[in-house]
Amino acid sequence: MGRLFTPMTRGKKRFSAVTALIVAGVFLTLPIILSVTALAGGGGGGPSGPPAEVLEQRKAAAAAAAAAGESVEGEAVAIETGRDVYYKIEGPAVGMPAPITADNETFYPRYNFESRVLLWVANQQHLYYGSFVLAVPIFCMCIELAGMISKDKAMAKKYDQLAYDFIRISLTAYSLTAILGGILIFTFLTLYPAFFGYLSGIFRPVMHIYALTFVAESGVLYIYYYGWDKMREGVLKWVHLSMCVILNVIGTVLMFLANSWIAFMMSPAGVDEQGRYLGNIWHVLHTALWNPLNVHRILGNMAFGGGVVAAYAAYRFLSSTTDEERAHYDWMGYIAMSLGVAFLIPLPFAGYWLMREVYAYRQQMGITLMGGLLAWLFIIQATMIGILFLTTNYYLWQALGRMTGGERFQKYIKYLVFILVVGLLVFITPHTIVMSPAELKAMGGQQHPVLGNYGVMSAKNGGINAIIMTTILSFIWYQRGNKVPTVSWSKFGNIFMGCFFVVAQINNIFLACYGYFIPANVRIGLSVPQVAGTLSCLLLMTPLNLAMLKGGRELGPIKWGQIPPRSQYAIIMLATAFTWMMGLMGYIRSSVRLFWHVNEVMRDNSPWAYTHTIGFAANVISFNVLFFWISIMFVFWLGTLGAKKVVIKSAVPDPVPAGASPQPAAGH
Amino acid sequence: MVELLARAWDLGWPIMIGLVGLLIYFQATIKDPASKKSATFKTLIGILCMFLALIAISNYAHNFEYDPGMLPVSLVMITAMSFIMGLYFTNIGALMKIGGFMFFVAAALSGYGNWLPQVEGGFPPPVVKLDFQSMSAQQLGDEGEKIIFGGIGQSKTQGAIGKGQCPLCHGFQKGFLSERAPNLFNIPARSAEQLKAPNYHMNDAAARNTEQKEAFEGSGTATNAQEYIAESHACPSCYVVPGFGVKGSNDTVSPMPRIHKPPISLQLGELAAVDTWMYTREGVESPGYDAIVTSYEKFIPEADRPKASEGDEGEGKGGDMLVDGSEPHDALFAGAGCTACHTIPGIKDAEGKVGPVLWEGTNAPKRMKDSGYAGKAKTTKEYITESILDPSAYVVTDFPDDQMPKDFGLKLTGGALSKIVDYLAALEEGKPLPPKE
Repeated sequence: MGRLFTPMTRGKKRFSAVTALIVAGVFLTLPIILSVTALAGGGGGGPSGPPAEVLEQRKAAAAAAAAAGESVEGEAVAIETGRDVYYKIEGPAVGMPAPITADNETFYPRYNFESRVLLWVANQQHLYYGSFVLAVPIFCMCIELAGMISKDKAMAKKYDQLAYDFIRISLTAYSLTAILGGILIFTFLTLYPAFFGYLSGIFRPVMHIYALTFVAESGVLYIYYYGWDKMREGVLKWVHLSMCVILNVIGTVLMFLANSWIAFMMSPAGVDEQGRYLGNIWHVLHTALWNPLNVHRILGNMAFGGGVVAAYAAYRFLSSTTDEERAHYDWMGYIAMSLGVAFLIPLPFAGYWLMREVYAYRQQMGITLMGGLLAWLFIIQATMIGILFLTTNYYLWQALGRMTGGERFQKYIKYLVFILVVGLLVFITPHTIVMSPAELKAMGGQQHPVLGNYGVMSAKNGGINAIIMTTILSFIWYQRGNKVPTVSWSKFGNIFMGCFFVVAQINNIFLACYGYFIPANVRIGLSVPQVAGTLSCLLLMTPLNLAMLKGGRELGPIKWGQIPPRSQYAIIMLATAFTWMMGLMGYIRSSVRLFWHVNEVMRDNSPWAYTHTIGFAANVISFNVLFFWISIMFVFWLGTLGAKKVVIKSAVPDPVPAGASPQPAAGH
Repeated sequence: MVELLARAWDLGWPIMIGLVGLLIYFQATIKDPASKKSATFKTLIGILCMFLALIAISNYAHNFEYDPGMLPVSLVMITAMSFIMGLYFTNIGALMKIGGFMFFVAAALSGYGNWLPQVEGGFPPPVVKLDFQSMSAQQLGDEGEKIIFGGIGQSKTQGAIGKGQCPLCHGFQKGFLSERAPNLFNIPARSAEQLKAPNYHMNDAAARNTEQKEAFEGSGTATNAQEYIAESHACPSCYVVPGFGVKGSNDTVSPMPRIHKPPISLQLGELAAVDTWMYTREGVESPGYDAIVTSYEKFIPEADRPKASEGDEGEGKGGDMLVDGSEPHDALFAGAGCTACHTIPGIKDAEGKVGPVLWEGTNAPKRMKDSGYAGKAKTTKEYITESILDPSAYVVTDFPDDQMPKDFGLKLTGGALSKIVDYLAALEEGKPLPPKE
């Protein structure tokens, strides 16, 4: 049929397609445009409160009373105002107060099981899938763009195929995300009706925007996925990429709106002390912790998404029967893991920012997290961060083995192992921990007589920064695996890079030690120069290395697929540990509210208004992690069903010898 | 161990029988000796793995609430099962090995979580009505120490903390760590000095550089040591001790919450107790309850003062209890509702016929030995407690299950439960009835 078109009709068809896509794009982003307008005006009407006409009547009554010469001062007829608990400004109390609940079936209907755990599981599963489907389109955008700007046609095709593979995986997960979202809402409505009613009342002005944004996200995603082949060339390819940009914008807005609920629960704003909505939805959204949470979650989602896709590639690698498939999935796993780790590196800094804002918002909350009830959980977190970086390094060292020339670096790895292990041990050393009176007595104080001298913040920062710097160095070695720089200034460049790393590390260690000699409130400020050193290594040394390697001499090809299977288990380890850490941090974030549904505004009077032991929490987190992975492996398996036919076709005519560049394993 | 195996069998015996059936079927239908050997071997591996999985699930379900430390064991078992499957069933080898590895990682992390010291955050302390006004200075001081540190005599223990949460940030002993907020040793004397600090601006609130000048409009500043303490509690941002403000605020905002507001919400009487302790522990005479309360009234407007009825009293935990254990035995059993269904020897009007007669001193040892008993109790008292909290753990023959409510755990206080169990455990057929109140 396509052959019948003349160039003219093709041009018209292209024009029509572009126009249709622009119209669709505008239509689908309309909810966001409308929401921005609405938010700029302070939002819609009040939640669950008197409607606007009633307020008008009250105003009229007050005015009439005033006109009649009656004193209205302090009388009930006046419109009630409330003072914002966060913004500290007055506003009309248009919402209902937060319900004062009691431990009974009306407020907390229940099954013969702990409602909180049921909600926890439903929430966590939705979050895992939501994070994954929001992260993957960002990867697709980056990879598709890389393919489009690549001058190497073969590489361009491979990148395009990879982006397509990514989005295909996320599509099945997308339906599951929606289903889990429904389950979450039903769980909320069934088990916590009063609480959910209050929250949905507060967020009423944006509830439908949220729903419409979800519809828009689905629409754009389907156009993006199903339009892949139709928009393969020329301007249409750019339109296709633009659809991905729109998809990510919508996805980000969606996530921000979802985040506003949890941020409101932790650090409410836009309501008075009784929890009455004060008429400004922007204040409700823009709470003290909203933006730090947004940034933290974007980075976290990306790292998590990278981990999941890398695990998929590892699974396909391990179950591959041909060298061609192994080469492709080795490459795919490497790209996904690199993207994931690229976002993992700034994650601790975003975490520091979030924690700093938590301390600024409520010092007690920060202390409960870092030095009180939940402090042991942060020891687990620190251990896990260390494990993640160790595993990443291990993978990179394994990956050096598939490069001709990579063996040059093997002899230095033992020194990196030493730095990583020492850094980890310093990083996980506790300083001030919560203890029972008996433990306090046994230890002779709140700080351990020996370890208590070591675990101060600057030293911990030193530990993690040393780990991150080492990881950056491993990555730079990996980039150099099969290449030798040939630029005229390569000698100077090597010396400069070496000195830079040494100076950054000395600066880091010096500040870590210096922290012992200065007061805590000054010591906390040392994190800035420590982090600056690490970020400089990341942002200056990595591009400098790439510049040096441009046009460099290749010692041999990258033998994709020729990597030991244990490297794939490192990827699996990374993905599982990251999933576990997400569950852990979500639990910590939620638990810090202690016995409040909405911090200091709506109290939790359910039978579960206490904080579980660490062991119990760890078990539920493990359950969530395994449930997620079992279900997503089912999704992966479904994905392989659709790909099998194509693999057989492509594998026969074009076999790729081991050691060649990876080829797409499946078409679309 | 035998118990665990029995539970695993109960959980999945149809599957196990199905697998054994499959084994027999292969023996009868496969003619080729090599194929038969392979099928037999794989089926036996399948049976072993399935039984491992059943043990793991059974252990998980049984210990979910009772002994969370045992749950990682289930994950390790599934790890072993997955790797065995991965080795012998090569068509799903990759999937099983990856799954097994994930279970291993989860087991390690769960085990780590269970190995660390277990800290549980309890319920918020209930509001207890105390008549602070009629207390002596010593009694008031003791209550103050409880509010600050959680108990009398705890003030010298680092880490001790009470409802007021003060030690989270403040040190109270000379030399104690106090980096987040000023150390409060000798505070009565030092308060008078603080009034003279250049940034305090006594009687001239408008001149202050703090974000909040006064506790409320017209409240003014403190003019004596006690008022300084009261103002510091009621309006921490009215004056910030240099170096202790919110970071970046240049000491114009304090990180301390207002003490009479959530989440701490101390009432005026409690504040009087706290302040009294700060005087008495220094050997300084307290200004007295009325003077302290008056000082707070200067900085906390009437509408903002927490009432004794606020908080969770009458709601939440305490409000829905059937009995609290302080009742005499007859009222205790009647109030808990036991008499409606059970005959309880020695208890007035306890002649119910819906449930069994509660000669529990005699019945419990026999029932724990019953082959149908699936509970965990080892003693008579444990059995009775289990029967109250989890009535389906053992259902007495001829009585239906699900008749007895399963939420007594939420309706009885610990004291009430203990008192009920003690009485029932002492009821033995043929022996004198136990004494009762």
